[in-house]
Amino acid sequence: MYGYNGKILIIHLSNHDVTWESLPEIVLRQFIGGSGLGAYLLYQHCPPKIDPLSPDNPLIFATSPLVGSRLTTSSKFAVLTKSPLTGLIGDSLSSSFVATELKKTGCDALIIKGRSPSPTLLSIDNGNVEFLDAGDLIGLTTSQTEISVKQRLGYRRRVICIGPAGENQVRFASISNDGGRHAGRTGPGAVMGSKNLKAIALRGTHPVPTSQPDQLNKIGLDLTKRSLGPATEKYRTLGTVANVSIFNRLGTLPTRNFQQSTFDLEEQINGETLQSNHKVKKAHCANCTIGCEQIVQTSDTGPSTKGRMEYESSFALGPLVEIGDPNVMIRAARTCDELGMDTISAGATVAWAMECYERGVLTELDTGGLELRFGNGDALMTTLELIGKREGIGDLLADGSKIAAEKVGNNSSNWAMHVKGLEMPGYEPRSLKTMALGLAVSTRGACHNRSSAYEADFSSEVDRFKADQKRGQITKDGEDFNAILDSLIWCKFLRKAFDNLYEESALIYQLVTGLPMTGTELKRSGERINNLKKAFNIREGWEQASDTLPSRILEEPLPTGVTKGINLTPDDLDMMVKAYYDARGWTVEGLIPDSKLAELELIDIVKEPGPNQKEINIDV
Amino acid sequence: MTLICNKGEHTNESSIPVIVELFGMARIASGRLTVELNSQPETAVKQVVNALAEQCPELVGIAISEDRMTLLGSYKFNLNGTEFLSGNPPRLRSGDRLLLFSSQAGG
Repeated sequence: MYGYNGKILIIHLSNHDVTWESLPEIVLRQFIGGSGLGAYLLYQHCPPKIDPLSPDNPLIFATSPLVGSRLTTSSKFAVLTKSPLTGLIGDSLSSSFVATELKKTGCDALIIKGRSPSPTLLSIDNGNVEFLDAGDLIGLTTSQTEISVKQRLGYRRRVICIGPAGENQVRFASISNDGGRHAGRTGPGAVMGSKNLKAIALRGTHPVPTSQPDQLNKIGLDLTKRSLGPATEKYRTLGTVANVSIFNRLGTLPTRNFQQSTFDLEEQINGETLQSNHKVKKAHCANCTIGCEQIVQTSDTGPSTKGRMEYESSFALGPLVEIGDPNVMIRAARTCDELGMDTISAGATVAWAMECYERGVLTELDTGGLELRFGNGDALMTTLELIGKREGIGDLLADGSKIAAEKVGNNSSNWAMHVKGLEMPGYEPRSLKTMALGLAVSTRGACHNRSSAYEADFSSEVDRFKADQKRGQITKDGEDFNAILDSLIWCKFLRKAFDNLYEESALIYQLVTGLPMTGTELKRSGERINNLKKAFNIREGWEQASDTLPSRILEEPLPTGVTKGINLTPDDLDMMVKAYYDARGWTVEGLIPDSKLAELELIDIVKEPGPNQKEINIDV
Repeated sequence: MTLICNKGEHTNESSIPVIVELFGMARIASGRLTVELNSQPETAVKQVVNALAEQCPELVGIAISEDRMTLLGSYKFNLNGTEFLSGNPPRLRSGDRLLLFSSQAGG
């Protein structure tokens, strides 16, 4: 077999069982790898309706056929689990040498089940699995954990770990890996923490051969050349933080917990300013020629802090909480990374709490004396630390804005900015109508990355201020396109380097795996993967009413900038959601008809659960 | 960053002032937030680009093609923050603002 190992490694933490199972070729072709293969395995291995923080929830790390091929941007893996934040599919990606190392151990995917009786460090050295005591690692930050594991097991190891937030089951905890890369969205770190699994140390020495290496190298060189062209210029220069200034000008920079879409202090924290005053260097993911990462450093008299800065982190820890000091923003992002928390959900949950405080719904009695107002950098930093430790007000906020609002009441759900429990990213949906639909219907909650629906809004293809039915097809097509990017796995930032993603990727898939594949088949796989994710959500209790947006978005027009007065009515959103269901071939209630399941060869998978689904691990 | 506005040299009776706002590397390379141009009300984008290249030659190779008539694929224009320009000539009015920024959305 080329490009795949054809096997999954299943490790039971409860009883230390280690099993290897074969992956049928048909499954690999239908679900490709990464997010698609992970979704398939999740459907098979997650018993229905379980508590996401129970031992039965599988934690799945899925590689892809391109991992190890050395093609640019291909060293990625997906983490799938039932999300503790949404109760639906948890689906997150990360880029690092962990992907190649995991694949070289001999599996295409690793499934962790059960719960260890005590803190555990899992050592996977090729096929040899050891369960090591991790008591000495408890309480360490993500970077401290990684260093400690390497000191113990050798610097050749690639490390996956959680920080204090994961240990404390903060529902938006991330999984850190390989020098501070993070799989953050939907909270997989909390699931890892619930299993008493502090870290995984990988070592693999079995390269997976490709079918046609010479032809692949030729195509790979061309792709590398394209990756350095105009299709990636923004990412290679300023990185994603370039979004801040133009989003502000376009009135689509969520500010003050989505009360505004422009930020008065934008010039102090935008990408151009970071480039001039704070940039240390740019950095690359494993096997990536683009190098979008911006390593920035504080410049004030406070403790010197250096770290990564992305648009989503800068939006959530800047405008969303009205922080206009770049030094605070840099420290806040680094704090989230070290505690092991998704920066978007962390910032958005604090923004919700700040609005609660300013409305008098939370008081200093609740915050332990903290003046939790918008723009208070000290309060932001303290609150992030409290969340990671689940102390004081942090214990409430560690459950995310949806659950916290349900606990606090007083209509605070009206300003809890999430969809299905996942906090909103930095795209103002009232001024981006395609993105509004994408956020409302995404299977993982308020996610911009699973549809890239903003792309149409930032073009002349549509009028971004006006809702219409064609957004349904655009969003559906965007989701299927992204499902293939996330399953092969290519970086999103490479997408414009392809003239035809499906045809070119099908050829590459054939050269890597030796298996037949066409562009049409690949496109169909994208649709299949999205339908399986939706089927998982339906099984777990998805309701049509959850395909919506926060009430603020549907009730309040935007008050500032070029988007002043722009709104999104419930009727407009409903019309677009219906158009999306129609484009998907679903019922008007958003359910998948059997005919669609049959068309996508999903009937057996969805209707006849495998034995793994019924397996209940013995709690310890 | 200092705001510097330059007025175009080529004017006639029917010309109108148009502001180009620069973002991203275009802003950093030129050291300018905005550039003021004089334009005809019905003008082709290539003429706007050409006028911009005259005033900000440092943008050639960064946002503007070597022919000084087209933007590189990595950049695009938006009119007044509300309308993304495609191939059709924009109808410009006095005081219009053209936003020049990266064509790569997302992140």
